[in-house]
Amino acid sequence: MTLSTSNVDMERAQREQRERRMPGDAGRPLSQSRGVMRTARIVSTVLVALWFALPFLPLVLWSFANSWSAPDVLPMSVGTDGLTAAIANGAVAAFGDSLLLSLIVAAIATPVGAMAARALSRHGLPFGRLVSVLLFSPVLLPPFAAVLGINVVLLRAWVPPEIGVILVLVVVAIPYTTFSMLVAYAAYDDGFDEAARTLGATSRFALWRIHLPLIAPALARSAFLAFLVGWSDYLVTLVVGGGQLVTLPLIIASSASGIGNESSVAVLSLSAVIPPLILLGLVSRARNLNPGRQS
Amino acid sequence: MTAVPTVTTVTTPLAPGPARPRRRQLRAALLVLPAVIPVAIVVIGGVGATLLQSLGLMPLVGAAELSTAAFDDTDELLTSALLSLSIAVVSTAIAAVVGFFTAVLIISGNWGGRIVTVLSAAAVTVPHLVGAATVGLLLSDSGVLARLFGISPDAWPALVAGPTWFAVIAEYAWKESAFIALIIVGTLATRITSYDEAAAVLGAHRSARLRLVLFPLAAPSLLVASAIAFAYTLGSYEVAWMLGATYPEPLSVMALRLFNTASLTARPEAAAIGVITVVLTAAVVGAAMLGLRRMRAWR
Repeated sequence: MTLSTSNVDMERAQREQRERRMPGDAGRPLSQSRGVMRTARIVSTVLVALWFALPFLPLVLWSFANSWSAPDVLPMSVGTDGLTAAIANGAVAAFGDSLLLSLIVAAIATPVGAMAARALSRHGLPFGRLVSVLLFSPVLLPPFAAVLGINVVLLRAWVPPEIGVILVLVVVAIPYTTFSMLVAYAAYDDGFDEAARTLGATSRFALWRIHLPLIAPALARSAFLAFLVGWSDYLVTLVVGGGQLVTLPLIIASSASGIGNESSVAVLSLSAVIPPLILLGLVSRARNLNPGRQS
Repeated sequence: MTAVPTVTTVTTPLAPGPARPRRRQLRAALLVLPAVIPVAIVVIGGVGATLLQSLGLMPLVGAAELSTAAFDDTDELLTSALLSLSIAVVSTAIAAVVGFFTAVLIISGNWGGRIVTVLSAAAVTVPHLVGAATVGLLLSDSGVLARLFGISPDAWPALVAGPTWFAVIAEYAWKESAFIALIIVGTLATRITSYDEAAAVLGAHRSARLRLVLFPLAAPSLLVASAIAFAYTLGSYEVAWMLGATYPEPLSVMALRLFNTASLTARPEAAAIGVITVVLTAAVVGAAMLGLRRMRAWR
């Protein structure tokens, strides 16, 4: 009983101490806005939020609209006609293909990028600067220009179109995985590996039990970026895939170029937006939970 | 388990000395090869083959013969190049301004910043093709905005497929502003608040802090992110193809149309457009890198 009252007293004392201010002290961080600036900040926050949120509005409204003719502000009847039409267009298979392609791209580009970043973060790589320029170049290269050329090369080398798509998308993803891992390795302490080796761990043991768990959150982020590359691609799948690989963006493009498919396009688009959002949630949560995280 | 574990990573890069192990170099080279080989195949092979095709040295049928015929239609190429450059300049400029202010809002870290963080992160994950589809649904003459404002399709301006390229620019600006904000926040979030607070303690006014603290600190990453966004916009295909007017065509749309036509002379022309786009991108990125170097020298 006495314990609880003393707790309450303690809280009140702390609160009073926090609220006790010097003359002229506004009691808030100096960089926080007040008065007119506060209003300006709220208005600009709302405007920026609207700017990012507005394009999601048609997806939500049209996805559940069975009929919605022009002058009406909201859909006239709500239902799942769009979903039915999307499934009839082959949405399920395309979703599966997209998922498989993105996972394969992530599974290859993530370890490859991590290894390259490890090599680049240690000095002593011959031609290190040249290598980093080369590995970063796919970001700046216009995809269609490379695709027009590589398409001919791959056809002449008898590379199957699916393999060609994976190869090109892995290359597009490598800059993202390499440079996100480079950032992670810049903050990485080699002491952990060295301590394990000094204590008698084999290099394989140190890699699997010390090194990889320590960089796991960065690997997850980098894999997410590689997944996004595969998931978002349209042009490479279209040209290099040559119709062998029908992913979600291809179906969305063909539906959107028709007339009167609004609700089907919206359902397909929504199904292309949701998986990366779920992954993003998982990745940011994994980073927050990991006790061995860097920086 | 080996009795004596080898400790190799003792030498520092500044003092290589005679004992600098060749094995370490070899190991680093082996680690980087799985990334270098595919990138070299696709980048050097792809651009090289595009260049050869544009010069008539890699024809689908017939003998290879060096010619610059694919670059002859200069009027058409110039129109397309100017259109592509204008779209890229306008959308990147909007994206840079919106992206910078979004980053400032996020870095400020109050409740509004958190909402903007979530929304801009969501926008980054949206594929450009999906962005194009939804911007089309939003801005077309019978689109969601026209319905919300109760404007009839006749009175609504031609934002989609119109002469102003409004919808195309809006889509790029939307996606790339989220990207630019993310890059700025990622590189500066932890550093910038302490400088901002220090300036505030020393009595710097709000606008002075924005101009003299936040902007100079964010400028290098703003420049790099904008250069990447510009290069992407210049070479991107699906958004301009879906939301743009049929004529004149941006470089990428013209290249893909020529690539898909049955005519045999069209392939070198498509490749020539690819070469021109690569050169334009390289020029702009080179200028941005020079700007970055000057920025670093100044600091």
